[in-house]
Amino acid sequence: MTGLRALLILAGREIESYFLQPLMYLVLAVFLALNGLAFSYSLVDMQGNVDATVRSFLGGSILFWINILFVPPLLTMRLIAEERRTGTMEGLMTAPVTDLVVVLAKFIGAYSFYLALWAPSVVYLLVMKSYGALPDTGVLASSYLGVLLLGALLIAIGLLASAVSPNQIVAAILGVVFNQALFWVPMLSLKMPHGTVRTTLEHLSILFHFDNSFSKGVLDSGIIAVYVIAIAISLFLAVRAVESRRWT
Amino acid sequence: MIEVEHLTKWYGDVRAVDDVSFRISEGEVVGFLGPNGAGKSTTLKILTAYMPASQGSVRIGGHDVLTQSLEVRRRLGYLPETVPVYTDMRVEEFLRFRALLKGVTRKELRRRVEAALERCGCLDMRRRMIGKLSKGYRQRVGLADAIVHDPPLLILDEPTSGLDPNQRIAVRELISSLGTDKTVILSSHILAEVEAVAERVIIINRGRAIADGPPSRILQQIEKGSLVQVEVRARPEQLEALLAALDSVQSVQVDASGSDWCRAEVRFDRVEDFREQVGRAIRAANLDLRELTSPTASLEDVFRRLTDPERHG
Repeated sequence: MTGLRALLILAGREIESYFLQPLMYLVLAVFLALNGLAFSYSLVDMQGNVDATVRSFLGGSILFWINILFVPPLLTMRLIAEERRTGTMEGLMTAPVTDLVVVLAKFIGAYSFYLALWAPSVVYLLVMKSYGALPDTGVLASSYLGVLLLGALLIAIGLLASAVSPNQIVAAILGVVFNQALFWVPMLSLKMPHGTVRTTLEHLSILFHFDNSFSKGVLDSGIIAVYVIAIAISLFLAVRAVESRRWT
Repeated sequence: MIEVEHLTKWYGDVRAVDDVSFRISEGEVVGFLGPNGAGKSTTLKILTAYMPASQGSVRIGGHDVLTQSLEVRRRLGYLPETVPVYTDMRVEEFLRFRALLKGVTRKELRRRVEAALERCGCLDMRRRMIGKLSKGYRQRVGLADAIVHDPPLLILDEPTSGLDPNQRIAVRELISSLGTDKTVILSSHILAEVEAVAERVIIINRGRAIADGPPSRILQQIEKGSLVQVEVRARPEQLEALLAALDSVQSVQVDASGSDWCRAEVRFDRVEDFREQVGRAIRAANLDLRELTSPTASLEDVFRRLTDPERHG
């Protein structure tokens, strides 16, 4: 059997399993409520400036960051830790599929649910459009690209957390802590004298990525490359973590 | 079909499997027998390519489990000790998913799932959520999963653990029927089970394979001699003298219970059926005989003798 076929079968099962978990409906509800609030506040705060509204909604509001930093670990915590705890991992790892396919399928499953969480936000834009207020296409597209890239990264990291954790609670905590660190540690640069350390930290700041690139409608291939590489590294480490369980 | 050579597995400082070697040919039904923690599951996990060995090699159908693990897994139906079922799926849905994952084509899917459901007696449970099934049915679903892609090799780790006696018998019958066209390895710490289905037994204790062969031959290897019990109408000393005079007798123990019948146990120094010889001697002495038996040690005795450290010495 080709790896692709196995990947599609497994990813299909992963996506399906999201819609079988009551917790995920709660996550969906809370996410949509917070996202709706974020949009309303952005709209009110920016007093009708549509581009500013989009910037605030996708990257410029506290609610956005709460949503995007806390939700991915909730989506990924169960993925590997729970399968290992219940023993279903053994069935998966003795079926004719590679560990890479297993990890990719789980990533695709979680990412699909993440996309499903964001899909309704398109409706908000349609509402704006119906009032004749059209945001700049470049700003809109690059802001969403930021949401997609950051989401993919945080899900890859969450998947890695799930692969190294004994259970889903630990996986969730690990994911949340890591995401907080990812957000706050580069903020230290604000208090630093100018220099290499400060510049490096600024380059790593996901907040600055939005402020300086995604939210401005300016695509920076360097930033995109950083995301793609970080996603690849996280997934690679997750595969190694899955493999390593064989060795103990 | 299976070639295991000098298999050793360390967990840190603990040697869970210690230089185990065996070969299993196609169509054999082999039972792994051993007390809990003897290394059965570890050995099976290595055979199924779930875990690598620390030393030694395993080849299945000519494929090395380490370097050609996917080839091995394709030919394998495995039921781990904890049955790997998704509790949020329905029985049929789960089997369809597993069958596709294990390479069953869409065209074959319906037929294979149907056959597995039927063979494992799950037809009436097909629409049930697996999480709502009893332990016995979950075990059956696990078995159905193991056979759904019609693999030539089945590895079943404690397939009847946690089942009630009726379910045990049902699973045992299922395994026997599977054994007609597949190579089956099953592990158990229940002897009756292995004795009932396996034509060959490998006894594992503390990581080592300490006996290997058909149950009857293992018995012979272990038994140092044989025993005949008689109950005869005679005086104790008369009976003792009569029996002690037989060939190959090691010892005679007479138990005179007070009545005119007395029982005797004769131990011989060879493994052989001595009942005829004893019967003939008693008839020749013109004595009444009302019991003549030769109790054979069951696998259970052998197992206990081999694996119980106190008796083992």
